[in-house]
Amino acid sequence: MLYMEELQDLGYEVIAASNGNDAIKKFEIYQPDLIILDILMPGMNGIETMNIIREKSKDIPIILCTAYGEYKQDLNTWASDAYVIKSADLAELLTTVNRILPI
Amino acid sequence: MPELRKDLISGRWVIIATERGKRPSSFNSTEKVSTGGFCPLCAGNEDKTPPEVFAYRPYGSQPDTPGWSLRVVPNKFPALRIEGELDRRGEGIYDKMNGVGAHEVIVECPEHDQTFSSLPVSHCEKILLTYRNRIHDLYRDRRFKYISIFRNQGEAAGASLAHPHSQLIALPVVPKRSVEELAGAREYFNYKERCVYCDIVRQEKVQGVRIVSENQGFLAIAPFASRFPFEVWVLPQQHSSSFEETPEWYYASLAEVFSDTLKRLTITLNDPPYNFMLHTSPGNEKINDYYHWHFEIIPRLTKVAGFEWGSGFYINPTSPEDATKFLQEALPALSVR
Repeated sequence: MLYMEELQDLGYEVIAASNGNDAIKKFEIYQPDLIILDILMPGMNGIETMNIIREKSKDIPIILCTAYGEYKQDLNTWASDAYVIKSADLAELLTTVNRILPI
Repeated sequence: MPELRKDLISGRWVIIATERGKRPSSFNSTEKVSTGGFCPLCAGNEDKTPPEVFAYRPYGSQPDTPGWSLRVVPNKFPALRIEGELDRRGEGIYDKMNGVGAHEVIVECPEHDQTFSSLPVSHCEKILLTYRNRIHDLYRDRRFKYISIFRNQGEAAGASLAHPHSQLIALPVVPKRSVEELAGAREYFNYKERCVYCDIVRQEKVQGVRIVSENQGFLAIAPFASRFPFEVWVLPQQHSSSFEETPEWYYASLAEVFSDTLKRLTITLNDPPYNFMLHTSPGNEKINDYYHWHFEIIPRLTKVAGFEWGSGFYINPTSPEDATKFLQEALPALSVR
């Protein structure tokens, strides 16, 4: 919710998804310009979700945003456009979003 | 910026990621990361990798486009950073420096479902020559003291993606394991004025009970004191201290024995997870009489547990002589030309 509010304050329209399956459904319905995915999620994890979305669209920008740095060792994360470590300070995420999808 | 920190007692260097670390609770997670679906290393997905630093591709074809038969790219999310100075410093009694290094991925072929052992020998030669070329190139950067090349095959061996690939990490320090091996080899040389590995090659050829594969240039053996079941080393038959200084024509011969050895392991152990690692002299003592480069191949069949961690002893349930017999039976021997 914090991310949603911050991004909305910057002028982005944000759609939230509650898990991987929901994210895939909403991706198909809304065709967003950018996806931000956590890795550890209930059910399907963020990398599995990204792989399914990537099979549908190679070009949709995806940011993996996770509390854990060690997933960087997983080469599956290369399918993303950026890997951001979650922090109370949202500066890195917001900078990355703005780099990929400038307003 | 990650940091390199030195253990004062063992002399071991450790890479500490200074980003937010893993929470204690998540170490218990059994969640597995998927290795299926989209593959960022497959041909056609070049835009998902950083720009290539080396590739085998047809003359005139553009970098980072399909058509390649092998690519080398920097790691997209590297453990060490290429930019910056080492800034060696102390923190009280402790030593540390910035985590400077190069981390590259060698994408061994465009096809997802191959393995090193299923590739033609001529293609294995290309991979081995690529290791050589990358080492030569990276040693032009004087910050790098050691280059580690390794391959993880299978999830149990640490591979996160099935697409055939190996990795290279250029380090600003010589790792402890290499320092210890060099010291042991130097000590043997100072005593006997012979390279210990050359003596091993000679002894193994005389005894003939631990030779897994050989040709005129190379020998694959199950080492006398194997730590792990079906551990195999591949060594040049003639003295050679530096992998990358080995003449280019030698690599076809290496590829033949290396590929044959991996095929034997694949057949005997039903496509096991394994790691292989290059052991070679550091950049500042490439040419010497006492060290002998080699590859170590470790099938991941057993787990390292408390006794091994606590004592440094290994319990190997398969003798190297038995392992050799099984591996010899898997395929006809290569002809020793």
